[in-house]
Amino acid sequence: MTDEDISEKEKDTQAYAALGIGLICIVVGLPLWWKATEVYRVQLPYSDINGLSEIPLTYTAEVQVVCFDDVWTKRILEISQLLQDNLSKTTGTEIKANYRLSVRERTTEELDIFKQKGSVPDLPFVDDELSKSKLVSGDRNKYYIFLVPKLFKLDYAYIGKHHNILIRPLNDVTELVKDISGIVKSYVIHEDSVEKSILNAKGARSLKPDKESMRSVRYNPGYDITFTLTVPQPDILDVRWQIEEAVTAYIESMTNKLTEYTSFEIKSQLQYFTTFQSKPKYDESLKEYYYQEQNLPQLINPIESTLGTSSSNNPELNFIVYIPTRDKSPLYIRDKNGNKVKSNAFLSPRWGGVMIYNVPEFNSSAALPYLVQVDMRQVMEVFVSQIRLLLNVNSAAQLGSKNVVFEPVGVAGINDIEIDVWLRNRCAENLATSINTLQSLAQLLGQISNIVIKDDIGSEVETAVESIKNSQKLLQAGNLVGAFQASKLAIIASEKAFFDPSLLELLYFPEDQKFAIYIPLFLPISIPVIGSIYKAIKHLRGSNKAKKD
Amino acid sequence: MIVILLIFLCAPWLVLSNTSEEEIGEFFKSGHTNNWAVLVDTSRFWFNYRHVANVLSIYRSVKRLGIPDSHIILMVADDMACNPRNPRPATVFNNANQHINVYGDDVEVDYRGYEVTVENFIRVLTGRLPPSTPRSKHLLSDERSNILVYMTGHGGDGFLKFQDAEEVSNVELADAFEQMWQKRRYHELFFMVDTCQAQSMFQRFYSPNILAVASSHVGEDSLSHHVDPALGVYVIDRYTFYALEFLEKAKPGSKKTMGQFLKVCPKYQCISTVAVRTDLFQRDPNQVLLTDFFGSVRNVEILLNTLALPNITLTSDTCSKSSCGNEEVSSRSLKYADQFPMPV
Repeated sequence: MTDEDISEKEKDTQAYAALGIGLICIVVGLPLWWKATEVYRVQLPYSDINGLSEIPLTYTAEVQVVCFDDVWTKRILEISQLLQDNLSKTTGTEIKANYRLSVRERTTEELDIFKQKGSVPDLPFVDDELSKSKLVSGDRNKYYIFLVPKLFKLDYAYIGKHHNILIRPLNDVTELVKDISGIVKSYVIHEDSVEKSILNAKGARSLKPDKESMRSVRYNPGYDITFTLTVPQPDILDVRWQIEEAVTAYIESMTNKLTEYTSFEIKSQLQYFTTFQSKPKYDESLKEYYYQEQNLPQLINPIESTLGTSSSNNPELNFIVYIPTRDKSPLYIRDKNGNKVKSNAFLSPRWGGVMIYNVPEFNSSAALPYLVQVDMRQVMEVFVSQIRLLLNVNSAAQLGSKNVVFEPVGVAGINDIEIDVWLRNRCAENLATSINTLQSLAQLLGQISNIVIKDDIGSEVETAVESIKNSQKLLQAGNLVGAFQASKLAIIASEKAFFDPSLLELLYFPEDQKFAIYIPLFLPISIPVIGSIYKAIKHLRGSNKAKKD
Repeated sequence: MIVILLIFLCAPWLVLSNTSEEEIGEFFKSGHTNNWAVLVDTSRFWFNYRHVANVLSIYRSVKRLGIPDSHIILMVADDMACNPRNPRPATVFNNANQHINVYGDDVEVDYRGYEVTVENFIRVLTGRLPPSTPRSKHLLSDERSNILVYMTGHGGDGFLKFQDAEEVSNVELADAFEQMWQKRRYHELFFMVDTCQAQSMFQRFYSPNILAVASSHVGEDSLSHHVDPALGVYVIDRYTFYALEFLEKAKPGSKKTMGQFLKVCPKYQCISTVAVRTDLFQRDPNQVLLTDFFGSVRNVEILLNTLALPNITLTSDTCSKSSCGNEEVSSRSLKYADQFPMPV
């Protein structure tokens, strides 16, 4: 063989070697590099999450109308049809209300209950008796409308504590049906508030502040309530309050009713030597001090720092009873028209409330410190009302109107219909919030490809999606408690998934910085490899040409 | 004739001024219910004394105007008060005349020393803290919170240096704010940054309801104000000095507006040009109260209707044998364990 042939052969081997290395680099190296720099991401049900907001939300309530007089029992079918038509007219865009209607004749036991008392009807008694009777069970989400017999004197519609509504029937069927459906929609089911809950949870933010949505705290599986007695001059007044007994007597019934749905941790404390920093105005004629409504916002801040906080992450509600100093007594709150506020209390949205408790004058020659027992009933009246407002028990609607009278709630704190309304609103709110959370989580994870998604996050997301679907189904079926519990699971799981500490965007690599990192690693190797591949291809093509020639 | 024409010309103007007054009244009642502040100082070492003084002065102003400690997250990377070089230990001054000790004895620093890292900062903003974190280290804001974020330290074009070891980029910060917006963790946010080339830090923001001000444009350096000869270091930065001058004149019920605050420190005072970003903010800054971000003025509601409750006589829990039998009164005496197990 000639030298030319040998060098030809060598060049060929060189060419093939270069090509082989290049091939390995591309076929093995590139995928290996891609796989090794991949972040571990569990596959999330993205399509499911996006589809969650497409499912139309509906809720169902059961309404049963009981007719007493013969004039109505003959027209049961007509009433049923007209009422169903009226009730299905919903105006909500976010959520639709369904009603399962049934109209029936009264039983003799029910008629006896109405016949029992004298000329002045004892409505609470009737209410209680009716709920004991067999056909009227105390299930959630079932409402019984009684068209009272003519012998029973009733001038207005009465909404009781136990899902019973007593209506005096008008002579005209269409008027009666309109009356019933109006009462059911506005005063029993509160359709507009369910709609509002969803809109607020979805984040419809307008610049105009909406009092109701701003005032109440969002649903949380637990709340911390703290009662504080602030005594600025403990050397002059020895103030005692039986807070433990008062909580047991007045508040426990409410918290017990809600204990399956959310937990309450109630604490109390005493604060000494803390005063309101702003000066009240003095009214010469009445010889009293007062704060005007516009001065109230600055009262809370200086004393808030000394209140202390709890160790959990639950929302806190603080309720303060303030005993004014001797030189600024008596101290009242006046509204913007200059009228004294009867309750002498105000609340701060999502924070709690303050009540100013005026100690009656005592003889200056009495021994100091003068013993004062706080009237817990007065204090608890204020605080229970404020708790109801802050937890959004829709108590504003309790005012009713001339024609609709509510049974006053009293010491129970919250009655059955209100619990239903609260559950329904919270369920809707939770659903909207968790769907929102999951969708923004999916969007975030889709946008930023650097985030590691671990297995437990994947399982939390799956749990959340399951619970949301479950809750929607149960809500549609009318199972209010089941739907609420499912929505509670959904919101806990979705919050946990979103706020998981491992979801931090680890390292941000902008494109130009990526180049800066890879160039010193790959450039020294790639220059000779690419150079030799190029030469090899040129050589092979050249030798092919030569062979062809 | 001329009089009628004049009246015609003046009438719409009168009507307009009336309606604008009503609008001002409406806008002053903002839609937030609580205020938070996240104050961050990112630099270490004695020669960066002025950054610590900056952030502590803003902390004092914010506290004075009403935000409680439980709603302030203070991150200070180095402790000047206890630095061995401090000739007056336990004090930090922001002025050579040493009138105000901004460290004081009631300062509550939530993240100190080496805890001030980019990771912790982003975790605080997005809420992704490990469950064992104490409550005071969480930013527990909701969709009705107005948040003030103040950052100071050394910065450059597109980044801010954290503790000489790492940096946070403007894209990361913008993403963090977007995550806050997605999870509705703020109603409105006011971002204030006092570093060199500070404008670059807010250039990449894309979430709504953010108002931002920076002490210098891209390409400019923010300068410090004056030296304290007793300490031997600069004690405050120019922008923060003039901002504090403005804030010190404000009282808790002040009606000063954010528009006035954004005009603080013109070029002849600050030497660098103050940059402002208002396009993401929906309200007009001239209609926004200073206390919407720096103070804490709450909406209050007078309680008009109370529930009627019956009078229940409260008997204090008398401990009878049956009810208190479960409580075991431990009669064993307790004593401390021996620190060093000594031979008997």
